[in-house]
Amino acid sequence: MVTTPDLDRDLTKRPRERSWGMVVDLDRCTGCQACVIACVAENNIPINDESHYHEGRVMSWIRVERYWEGEFPNVKARFIPLMCQHCENAPCEPVCPVYATYHNNEGLNVQVYNRCVGTRYCANNCPYHARSFNYWEPVWPEDLRHQLNPDVTVRSRGVMEKCTMCVQRIRRATRGRDDVPDGEFAPACVQACPTQTLTFGDLNDKSSRVYELSHDERNYTVLKSLGTAPNVTYLKKVED
Amino acid sequence: MNPNLAIKIAVPLVGLSVALVALAVGWFFISAWWSQPPAILGFSEGPEQPVAFPHTVHVQQAGLDCQFCHRTVSTDEAATIPAVEQCLFCHDFGKIDGTLSSEPHAAAEIQKVRDAFYGSESRDAGAIDWARVHRLPDHVQFVHQPHIAAGVSCSTCHGDVASMEVVQQVRNLKMRDCVDCHRELNAPTDCVTCHY
Ligand code: HEC
Ligand code: HEC
Ligand code: HEC
Ligand code: HEC
Ligand code: HEC
Repeated sequence: MVTTPDLDRDLTKRPRERSWGMVVDLDRCTGCQACVIACVAENNIPINDESHYHEGRVMSWIRVERYWEGEFPNVKARFIPLMCQHCENAPCEPVCPVYATYHNNEGLNVQVYNRCVGTRYCANNCPYHARSFNYWEPVWPEDLRHQLNPDVTVRSRGVMEKCTMCVQRIRRATRGRDDVPDGEFAPACVQACPTQTLTFGDLNDKSSRVYELSHDERNYTVLKSLGTAPNVTYLKKVED
Repeated sequence: MNPNLAIKIAVPLVGLSVALVALAVGWFFISAWWSQPPAILGFSEGPEQPVAFPHTVHVQQAGLDCQFCHRTVSTDEAATIPAVEQCLFCHDFGKIDGTLSSEPHAAAEIQKVRDAFYGSESRDAGAIDWARVHRLPDHVQFVHQPHIAAGVSCSTCHGDVASMEVVQQVRNLKMRDCVDCHRELNAPTDCVTCHY
């Protein structure tokens, strides 16, 4: 039995639908890895050591991939930060047998850790390799134990995890508020980026900076031919 | 009596009582998992605290507001337990030392609070290690602030703490309990409201 209290706030009025998204401007990326470090610190991601790389069992929610452009001697190193693309039409979602991953009404691809049973089908089906599986119980050195973020669950062994667009920050900023100004808060990677490569915001808000950039003429979608319709898009000037 | 007959009666009786005990133990564990342990053998009582702190005296007699002590309940995730220093406002500088109280143990308990602040022979100065009464699993992110902002009162979830000598959990506060209320009051029920 639920006892209904008298409420001061009108709960029948829900905030407007948001669609959180990100735009990555590759012409600005210097490959410095600040986003990677910020993400690890914010989201309680276990620390990788060399053997994890050899085994191909690295834990990371965002990584910076390097590729070369041009022919020697005119080669240029290029970088592309890759994280969960929060696809509207996500290949990972329909393969989960327990609905631990789904798309919510804020444009986020959600992973419910306690619901996950660890089949790893989702990671196998992700064309962006954005998901990491906890093959081990995570451990931190003793002196790092107190830096864990209390707003983020520490995942245990046997659970799939991936970028959440720092949903803990989204919750904190939007809790009980109908309107959040564009740029008031950002995920850890966006905040840490020294060159403003990453831009975060509400794609439903036509006055927001992400909306503007997502309609830029340089805008493209990684692996567009798969039709995943991601909420994370990229900017790149095509040189000929 | 025929010994064969005695065995014929005894064996099913023993079997029956073993089955009953197993059933009772099973029921106990299942109901404890499903909601809270049933109120037998002192199972649903609150844990024993290092200082016998009565909410009754402070809320009903001293007339303190919950938020006087649980300061961040309307702004943050956790309500927080007050620092020892805050007890001293009354129990040291305010000279409320329990000697006038009708409770015989009051003075000794209040002395423990002062020992925690100043240190004593038996302990160093430092926080009082209160035992937690309510605790959700780590994979749940509970936040007090929106509940207080929406006008849900403390007693809806915690019961009548003001008249509890020892705080105990009265509401089950499992996922179904949370979601039932959220559905009824049109609060969010998306999984990432509570799990992230
Ligand atoms: C004088 C300060 C003070 C006041 C006023 C006070 N509390 Fe407390 N409260 C405490 C302390 C200290 C504890 C920890 C010891 C305990 O659990 O008994 C506590 C514990 C609690 C707990 C259990 C916390 C847990 O571990 O889960 C709840 C619930 C609680 N208080 C609710 C209330 C409510 C509701 C009110 C208002 C009616 C209130 N308190 C008023 C000091 C206070
Ligand atoms: C919607 C239900 C709900 C309401 C309303 C509520 N609480 Fe709580 N409270 C909880 C739950 C659930 C926990 C356990 C939190 C956890 O384990 O993370 C808790 C924990 C606590 C604690 C101990 C842990 C902490 O957060 O510091 C205190 C003290 C407390 N509540 C006080 C209060 C007071 C005072 C009020 C009223 C102003 C209040 N609560 C209103 C559900 C509620
Ligand atoms: C606003 C003043 C005030 C504050 C703050 C306060 N108390 Fe008290 N406390 C009292 C009063 C009044 C009594 C009743 C004492 C008496 O009758 O002599 C009391 C009694 C007590 C007793 C004796 C219990 C009994 O059975 O009579 C204990 C233990 C106690 N307080 C602990 C605490 C702790 C721990 C804190 C800090 C969390 C605290 N108090 C904060 C006013 C306060
Ligand atoms: C008595 C009713 C009631 C109960 C029980 C209850 N809630 Fe709530 N909850 C509310 C209301 C009302 C809101 C406010 C919604 C709003 O402001 O939009 C809320 C909001 C929340 C929010 C913030 C949602 C946001 O906007 O980000 C979280 C998190 C939450 N509750 C978790 C819990 C958890 C976990 C439990 C179970 C331990 C619980 N609630 C039990 C009524 C309840
Ligand atoms: C209003 C808050 C709230 C929402 C919304 C919510 N949960 Fe929960 N969930 C809880 C709480 C509280 C618990 C912990 C119950 C307990 O004490 O064991 C929990 C526990 C769980 C567990 C673990 C159960 C167990 O016995 O260990 C799973 C799995 C789970 N939730 C899945 C989900 C899924 C999937 C959704 C979305 C459809 C969801 N939850 C939405 C509050 C919530």
